[in-house]
Amino acid sequence: MTASELLARLPRVKLRVIAAALVAVVILHILATLAAPRLAPSTAYSRLADLLPVNSMKLLPVIAPGAQPLPFMGPDSRYAMCRFDSTKGPVQITANLPGAGWSLSVFSDKGDSIYAAVAQPGRRTEVSLVLSTSDERFAGLTPQASGQSVKEDRSLSLPAKRGVAILRAPDQGMAYRAINEAELKRSVCGVRGAVAAAR
Amino acid sequence: MRSNLGFVLHRLKKRIAYATNIAADYAMFIGFVLIAGIGSAWYMVDTGSALTTERVGPWVTWLSAARADADPYTRAHFARMGTLPMSTEVAQTLTARYDDGGSRLHSSCEYAVKGHDIAGSWWSLAVFDDDGRVISNPAERYTFTSDTIALKPNGDYAITLARDARPGNWLPTGGAGRLALVLTIVDLGLGSSEKDREEEKNPIPSIEQVNCR
Repeated sequence: MTASELLARLPRVKLRVIAAALVAVVILHILATLAAPRLAPSTAYSRLADLLPVNSMKLLPVIAPGAQPLPFMGPDSRYAMCRFDSTKGPVQITANLPGAGWSLSVFSDKGDSIYAAVAQPGRRTEVSLVLSTSDERFAGLTPQASGQSVKEDRSLSLPAKRGVAILRAPDQGMAYRAINEAELKRSVCGVRGAVAAAR
Repeated sequence: MRSNLGFVLHRLKKRIAYATNIAADYAMFIGFVLIAGIGSAWYMVDTGSALTTERVGPWVTWLSAARADADPYTRAHFARMGTLPMSTEVAQTLTARYDDGGSRLHSSCEYAVKGHDIAGSWWSLAVFDDDGRVISNPAERYTFTSDTIALKPNGDYAITLARDARPGNWLPTGGAGRLALVLTIVDLGLGSSEKDREEEKNPIPSIEQVNCR
């Protein structure tokens, strides 16, 4: 069919058809947008799943060519990561953010952000999170509900089933690498009872 | 007998032409819907719009990256990329794939990235290939941060993106082909006075093409 034949056809197109086409376009646009995350060839979580043990904080090697877990993950930082699964019990994450550039981010397995914190310069920021499923929270299995008073436990309780916690330490040059690595290793991730026993 | 056959053939031709017209109409309808529906979704997810992104020169940032209340386009964008960026609640991540002149960043060219230290923030500037991979180089240099960059006394800096070694802040680009620059600015929540803000220079660096091979 030539372009002139197509143009000749246009006057026959009725307003109802145009309206139907626009509605169909909008529906397809919404469906395609919502389906896009599920159609991604590999999500960040699935890429990290092979690298990270469950409920354990792991210090990743220095980011370098061939040793880069995710695209655009920069060598400007050292990373410690924990792939958490709170279906077997609440997972506790504790970390120190000792200086500028340090951050802790928690993502769900779908890549949605659950929590983010950055360090304040000149102030040591201690972060303690308890991640539990919505069912456990509903059943009252939060730390507070299990007998610990709020004063004793400063942990922030968040609903999350599976995901990844990422602790970033900035690259401050060679002189700071050992110190930052030691601080990253001090961070803890594990099922709440096991973490308490280990301490 | 012959006229009867001719009449039947004529009717058959008319019916085939009618059926072809209907089929062509449906094909046009479905084709338009598919191209416009999927194409517009792909554009909004891949490139973004004024609703989801902010552009400063060649730099692009997704306004609600890694936020709990992120819009579906932003969620789909980062899910397709397979990345976990820092939340815009605590940091700003800007990506540039073009220079100030609108040309695609490429390892066959040399660029001067000029900016000013960002007060009250920790920042980093890293170069990747088009797929977000770190570029292999003998100097093992992939990024500069506010801690590692050499600043001028007035707080300005200049980074040279080039294949071969250059004096000063040199970021090697090897033979990576198309490049992507990522600027991450972590807000330290220090705040600044109105006077500071007035005096503060634009924190987003310029990317000037110096030459191409």
